[in-house]
Amino acid sequence: METQFKEVEVVNRKTSFTVKDLAVRLLALALTLVATVLLGVDKETTTVSVKLVSSLPPVDLPVTAKWTQMSAFVFFVIANAIACSYGAASLILILVTRGRNKLVPIMVTILDLVMVGLLFSGVGATSSIGVIAYKGNSHVQWDKVCNVFDKFCQQVAIAIFMSFAGGIAYLLLIVLAALKLHK
Amino acid sequence: MSSIDAAEAPLKSSATPPPEYKSSMGLVVDVALRVLLFGTGLVAIIVMVASKQTKMIPVAPGIAVPLDAKFSHSPAFIYLVAALSVACLYSIITGVLSVLAFVRGGTSTKLQFHFVMFDALLLGIVAAATGAAGGVAYVGLKGNSHTRWNKICNTYGSFCFHFAASILLSLVSSITLLLLVWLSLYMLSKKIARR
Repeated sequence: METQFKEVEVVNRKTSFTVKDLAVRLLALALTLVATVLLGVDKETTTVSVKLVSSLPPVDLPVTAKWTQMSAFVFFVIANAIACSYGAASLILILVTRGRNKLVPIMVTILDLVMVGLLFSGVGATSSIGVIAYKGNSHVQWDKVCNVFDKFCQQVAIAIFMSFAGGIAYLLLIVLAALKLHK
Repeated sequence: MSSIDAAEAPLKSSATPPPEYKSSMGLVVDVALRVLLFGTGLVAIIVMVASKQTKMIPVAPGIAVPLDAKFSHSPAFIYLVAALSVACLYSIITGVLSVLAFVRGGTSTKLQFHFVMFDALLLGIVAAATGAAGGVAYVGLKGNSHTRWNKICNTYGSFCFHFAASILLSLVSSITLLLLVWLSLYMLSKKIARR
C-alpha cells in the first residue's frame, strides 16, 4: 500500500507542471517575440555622399539597411519566430491538458531542446555578421558598415541579446525538467 | 590502487553509494555517441586548421601578390575551432565517466542529471559556433551586394571546400549533443518508472 501510494505520487509529479515552469516558458516566449519584432521592423535610411565623377560635387545617395538584405538576419528572424510560436503553442497545450496527458511533457521537453539549438545558432550567425559589420575584415576586404548605419546596428545588438536570453530561458526549462525527473 | 581499495572496503556502505540503476544498453549508446562527438569534432578542427590556401592576387595591372586565406583571418572560424576543442575535451572526460559507470555496473541519477546540464550547455555553444561559421561562410560564398562584401569562393576554392566540410561536421557534432541530452533525459525518466 505504501509503495503504491509512492508510485502514484511520483507519476503525478512527473506529468504535472509547476508555476515555475510556466513562468519560465512565458519569459522565453516574451523574449523571442521581442527579438523577432526588433529585427523584423529594423530599417534605416541614410544618405551617403558619393563622388561619382571627380569633376562634379559629391552626390547624396539614399541607402537603406534592412534585415532582408543579409541571409543571417533572415535566419535569425525565422528562428526566433519559430521559437516564439512554439513557446505560445506549448504554453497553451500545457495549460489545456494539465496533468492528464502523459505524452505532452515528453514532447515539450524534446522540442525545447531543439529550440535551444535553433536559437543559439541564430544568435551565433547574427553576432558573427554583426562583428564583421562593426569592425570590418581587412583580409577579405570587407568594410565595416556600422559607422554609417548606427541605429540599425544598435537595434541588431539589442535583438541578439534578447534572443540569447530567450535561449538561456529554454535551457533553464530543460534543466527544470531534468530536476523534476532527478528528485 | 590496492591501498585505495583496502581503505574503501570498510567504508563501502557510506562512502561509495552503489549504482542506483542498471542501464547497460543506454550507457553503451551514450559512450558510442560521445566517441562520435569526439571524432567529428576532431576532424572538423583538423580540416579547418589545415585549410590554408595561397593564391596570386593581381593588385595592380601586371603585379600579382601572393595572398593567403587562413582560418585565423575570421573571428567566427577561430570561435568554431575553440568551441569544437572544448567539445572534444568534454567528450573525452564524459566518455571516461560513462565507461566507468558501465564497468561499475550501472549509473546514478546524479551523473545523468549532470550530463543533461552540461550537454545542453555545450549544445548551445557548438550550435552558436556552427551558426557563426555558417553565416560568414554564406557571405563568403555568395557575397553581399548591399554591404559591398565580395565573395571569395571564386578565388579560394579549396579554402571554401575546407570550411564547408568543417561546418557540416560541426553540425553533426551539435546533432550528436542533442541526441545525448535526449538519451540522458530518457535514462532519467526510465529510473522513475522502474521505481
